[in-house]
Amino acid sequence: MNKRMKQLAYALIATAMITACKKDDEDPVTPTTPPVNEEELITTLRLHFHSMGGSEHKMFVFTDLDGDGGNAPVITADTLSVDTMYHVEIEVLNESESPADTITTEIEEEGDVHQFFYQVSGANATVAYADTDANGLPIGLETMWTIGAASNGTVLVTLRHEPDKTAVGVSSGDISNAGGETDIAVSFPVVIE
Amino acid sequence: MLFLSGPTRPLWRASFHPLRYLVLVLSCSIVGLSGALAQELCTYALSGRVIDAHDPEALAFAEIYLPELQRGAVADTAGRYRIADLCAGTYRVRVMHLGCEPVERSVTLKGDLELDFRLEHHAHELREAEIIRDRPDEHVGQAHAEVDKDAMERSSGRTLGEMIAVIPGVTTLNSGPTISKPMVHGLTGNRVLVLNQGIRQEDQQWGSEHAPNLDPFSSDRITVVKGAASVQYGSDAIGGVVITEPVELPREGPVSGEVRGVGMLNGQAIGGNGLLQGGVKGVRGLGWRVQGSGRSMGDSRAADYNLSNTGMHETGASTSIGFRDHRWNASVYGSWYARELGILRAAHIGNLTDLQNAITSGTPWYVGAATRAIDAPRQTVEHLLAKAEAGYAVNERGKLVLTYGFQQDDRQEYDIRRGGRSGRPALDLDLSTHTGDAVYKHWIGKQVHGKVGFSGIYQENVNIPGTGVRPLLPNYRRQSGGLYLIEHLTVNEGLELEAGARIERTHLLVAKYTVNDVLIVPEHDFLNHALSLGANWSVADSARIRINLSSAFRPPHVSELYSEGLHHGTAAIEIGDALLPSERAFKGVIDLETALFQGRAHALLTAHASRINDFIYLRPDGYQLTIRGAFPVFRYVATDALISGLDASFDLRIAGPFTWRLRASTVHGRDLEQDEWLFQMPSDRVENTIAFAPRRAGRWKELEVAATSSFVLEQRRIPVGLDFTPPPLTYHLLGLSASAARPLGKNELRVGLRGSNLLNIAYRDYLDRFRYYADARGIDIALWITYRFGGKDRTH
Repeated sequence: MNKRMKQLAYALIATAMITACKKDDEDPVTPTTPPVNEEELITTLRLHFHSMGGSEHKMFVFTDLDGDGGNAPVITADTLSVDTMYHVEIEVLNESESPADTITTEIEEEGDVHQFFYQVSGANATVAYADTDANGLPIGLETMWTIGAASNGTVLVTLRHEPDKTAVGVSSGDISNAGGETDIAVSFPVVIE
Repeated sequence: MLFLSGPTRPLWRASFHPLRYLVLVLSCSIVGLSGALAQELCTYALSGRVIDAHDPEALAFAEIYLPELQRGAVADTAGRYRIADLCAGTYRVRVMHLGCEPVERSVTLKGDLELDFRLEHHAHELREAEIIRDRPDEHVGQAHAEVDKDAMERSSGRTLGEMIAVIPGVTTLNSGPTISKPMVHGLTGNRVLVLNQGIRQEDQQWGSEHAPNLDPFSSDRITVVKGAASVQYGSDAIGGVVITEPVELPREGPVSGEVRGVGMLNGQAIGGNGLLQGGVKGVRGLGWRVQGSGRSMGDSRAADYNLSNTGMHETGASTSIGFRDHRWNASVYGSWYARELGILRAAHIGNLTDLQNAITSGTPWYVGAATRAIDAPRQTVEHLLAKAEAGYAVNERGKLVLTYGFQQDDRQEYDIRRGGRSGRPALDLDLSTHTGDAVYKHWIGKQVHGKVGFSGIYQENVNIPGTGVRPLLPNYRRQSGGLYLIEHLTVNEGLELEAGARIERTHLLVAKYTVNDVLIVPEHDFLNHALSLGANWSVADSARIRINLSSAFRPPHVSELYSEGLHHGTAAIEIGDALLPSERAFKGVIDLETALFQGRAHALLTAHASRINDFIYLRPDGYQLTIRGAFPVFRYVATDALISGLDASFDLRIAGPFTWRLRASTVHGRDLEQDEWLFQMPSDRVENTIAFAPRRAGRWKELEVAATSSFVLEQRRIPVGLDFTPPPLTYHLLGLSASAARPLGKNELRVGLRGSNLLNIAYRDYLDRFRYYADARGIDIALWITYRFGGKDRTH
């Protein structure tokens, strides 16, 4: 009988060990911190077009406020004027935070490992770099656009992180040999009237 | 390979046929010794009776074993035994019987020998034999294979996954040269259970780029069960089970141990491991063991270029102390393992265009100078295991065993981040798991034994705040409890049956924030059961069949239920489904083992088929536009799958010391609902080895030189439109290995050389997730040296 009691005791201890681990009062599983603020999330990309002389201010805007997944992003693009030169500045924001986090400054600070590429197809527009990083190579946060005759097309704006800026053609805007990882790849419609 | 099982067939007997004509030629060259000479010298027989020392009572079913030959016999009901086809020589003979003190004797055989053994039999006390292992499971009917201490030594410097991949039917799912996940019959991750010292290894095994976090050298034997085994092990054992066996501690005696150093050319890897074990003077039955290992590796090299950022550093240590006597045993074990590894830099991509550029370019977009430094992207993991076990022999026919295990697994994944954040992990997970087991082993009569048990798990997964990234896997708590019963019947000399059943309940509590930052706390309950039926049947003198029909189950993992977002590692948006049910698998395995040509050849064939209902996998479901461009969307869905295949091994002693070994396997995985092939199934492969194992060369023994040719065929059985690129072509690799041992006084020196991909072929493997970006490893040569010392006797 004694032995049986011992056996029963062992079985009970084992069960108790498992069930005792349930902590009902304190619940570490529920995340104690408020929801994570995605610090590197890019929700908004804005291209500000300023004509020489300052009369025009056009914008190409990409917004995806809930990040990857969820609602589809919204892309809008103003029409550009025929035979005009624009000074274009890029603004990159994380608007899921408030106040909005300006990612543009981070890109600028790490300019040597970032480069924007602009691939125009179909429309009469050429893009040239107007800024440089610490090594004298372009970043692409500022560009000069030369617009020609009326036409329709698209421009693919790509941001590469850690590209090989010294590879053939890269510093003049040819993405073919750039490498690196793509952080932004947005296609805007280009309508020239 | 002996264990206590009562009056029934021990495992070693189930593996090797005890009667004549069957001489197993395994990779261990020791066995090659016995058959290396002309057959005329090997027809002697050792026979006799095993009887009680005090009265002429026969000891039925006593076990007579020759460890150097790995052969033996079981005495019949009259205590008579016979081992035939032995060669002349001197052997140790070990004789055991339940309830007796074992006897070991050195026997010199110059002809047929009749030898009786007298054992001290204690009718009133249960004394366990001086067994080598207390195997908890006998795998009746289950196809299984082992990687023993010597095979592990020959794989020094390799990861756990690579070590067991020598078994036909076992492959690895790789992520570059440093990450290998074990894959059994095409299934991996949460469908292959890994047991670390008998405890379920819980280390985020759901991740396809998460290798098992354990040091294989904390054990000296790894068993792979190639079958559905939920009755014995619980959920997740659908494809198979990888068991790092607990080491039997010495019960007495002086300190023994070994020290090993290994160096590998590819990656300039350097590593070592050592162990010390012994008994305690004055306390018979108390033993201890201390073990440690480490390895440091720089960038690996493919055939034509450096694989940048593929370094790896790992360290592990374990210690255990245990006591055992005839009545009870208790042991405590602790291990710690840490690893840091780099993810191939060129595998880190931003979007689908990057991936397609990588595929068309054919060479990695980033190739830097070889270095030992590890930068982002990288992973660091730490795994702690603490285990306590106690067993008590209630009476001669019953034993109670209680086990408790605690595991802490910490994982940080570092990504390439902007704004100086590369030093902060993008994923920081803390997984703690408590496991408890209570088993009652019983013997009923002379032919039946079994066990009834309860096992429970309590687990918590927590994301450590501060990453600045939305968690990939939410916080959760998982509790499960299972009750099982297994009974084993020895029908007669040639037939054993086993049946089992298990019922298990799993409860999941998940806590996460939705995309709108609302906290939700969903709960899930899963009730599952498993059944198994197995038979071991010795058909004729030289053939044995194993049949097993089992069911297995796997509740869906939290990642399959609640994934939501871009998974960088796969360049896809993955979406879970909270309504997924448990997977249920039915697997049938037939395992046929036979000797041919009067024992000169040995063949092992395993045929398997599994039907998995509600098989969960990722199915493409359109594209979604993000800031980085369009990404494919994959949803976790359930389908019905049928996986079948064949594993084959064939060993033939060609002439003298030459042996030919053939290993081949094929797996067919089918999605029954979509009527398509399953994604990421291993392709057909064939491996041929010619080994030369001369008996002795001066003071050197256990010599073997082997050349291996491996063909891995192109995978043609693929689902249409599910992959970014067609599978890589058939490739062929040439390998070489050489090993030898030499006594140094009372100790032993062992050396070995291993060459792989000797032709430095540039190739890619279908089961490597990084095959889109770079080739696999090029030529590699490894050298290892072991020094074994101390102990009572040299087993080899």
